[in-house]
Amino acid sequence: MLIKIFLFFSIIFSSFTVGESLYEFDSIEDEKRFYTLIKEIRCPKCTSGSLASSNAPVSEDIKSKIIQLIKEGKSDKEIKEFLSDRFGNQVLYNPGLSKDTYFLWFAPGLFLMLILLFFFFRKRT
Amino acid sequence: MTIFIRFIIISTALMFFTFFYLYINDDKYYPGADFTTSNMPDFEIKDLYSERVFSVKDLDGSYLINVWASWCITCRIEHSFLAKLESNNIPIIGLNYKDEKDDAINWITKFGDPYKYIIHDYKGELALDLGVTGAPETFLLNDGKIIVHYRGEVNDMIWNDVFKPVIMKENIFNAN
Repeated sequence: MLIKIFLFFSIIFSSFTVGESLYEFDSIEDEKRFYTLIKEIRCPKCTSGSLASSNAPVSEDIKSKIIQLIKEGKSDKEIKEFLSDRFGNQVLYNPGLSKDTYFLWFAPGLFLMLILLFFFFRKRT
Repeated sequence: MTIFIRFIIISTALMFFTFFYLYINDDKYYPGADFTTSNMPDFEIKDLYSERVFSVKDLDGSYLINVWASWCITCRIEHSFLAKLESNNIPIIGLNYKDEKDDAINWITKFGDPYKYIIHDYKGELALDLGVTGAPETFLLNDGKIIVHYRGEVNDMIWNDVFKPVIMKENIFNAN
């Protein structure tokens, strides 16, 4: 039981010691933007994990690059474009609308409409 | 009414099959390979052996750029194939990725040097600009444009499936 309590507290407090001052930002807004961005960008080395969840060397590099780009005053859109140009569209969890992603975006709506039509006509018979 | 339902079911099934048929038969798709053309990013990086600084201006013509490191096990397996390419007069530029200078030089002395020259990207800055996720990775360059990017080990099979068709099509390296 004592060990369990010890582990519980060490896990809780370790996040404070590791989590602080790992990256440096000019402002709190920048920091917030960074932590939102790394949740929206996939680690290119992982099967499916965000940059936030990854310690792979390339993820660390990308994170430092994002901080650099934020400091240079780039917008979120520009940062995402920068990364998708280099690592492909698959790094974005929320890929933009293009001819490759029409199916991805419109298929769910199409299926929903088909299903609604199906029920609509079935009730009337 | 039943005709309508049948129509919906059949057309949905057909849609799925067409989608997967197109997906499977996509000639351009090859795991690990990227055939989109992009500009070679600007860089200024030192040579591995000397203080000479290379930039994008030194990359006029057609080259392979091979990303390697002494800590990379797969690079050792790939190395003999690169030597074979070099003996076929294909110019390869080494991009030493996140490696200590001494380790890299020792590795090359031990296993041989198939590269025209090696640039030492210690911090991985150029590699990040190129979209490198690890080592080995290989790029095919034609007149300052990247036309193939392959993530992983290049061997006979990859060479014939990924690089050769593009080389023949663009008629580079005297199409050998």
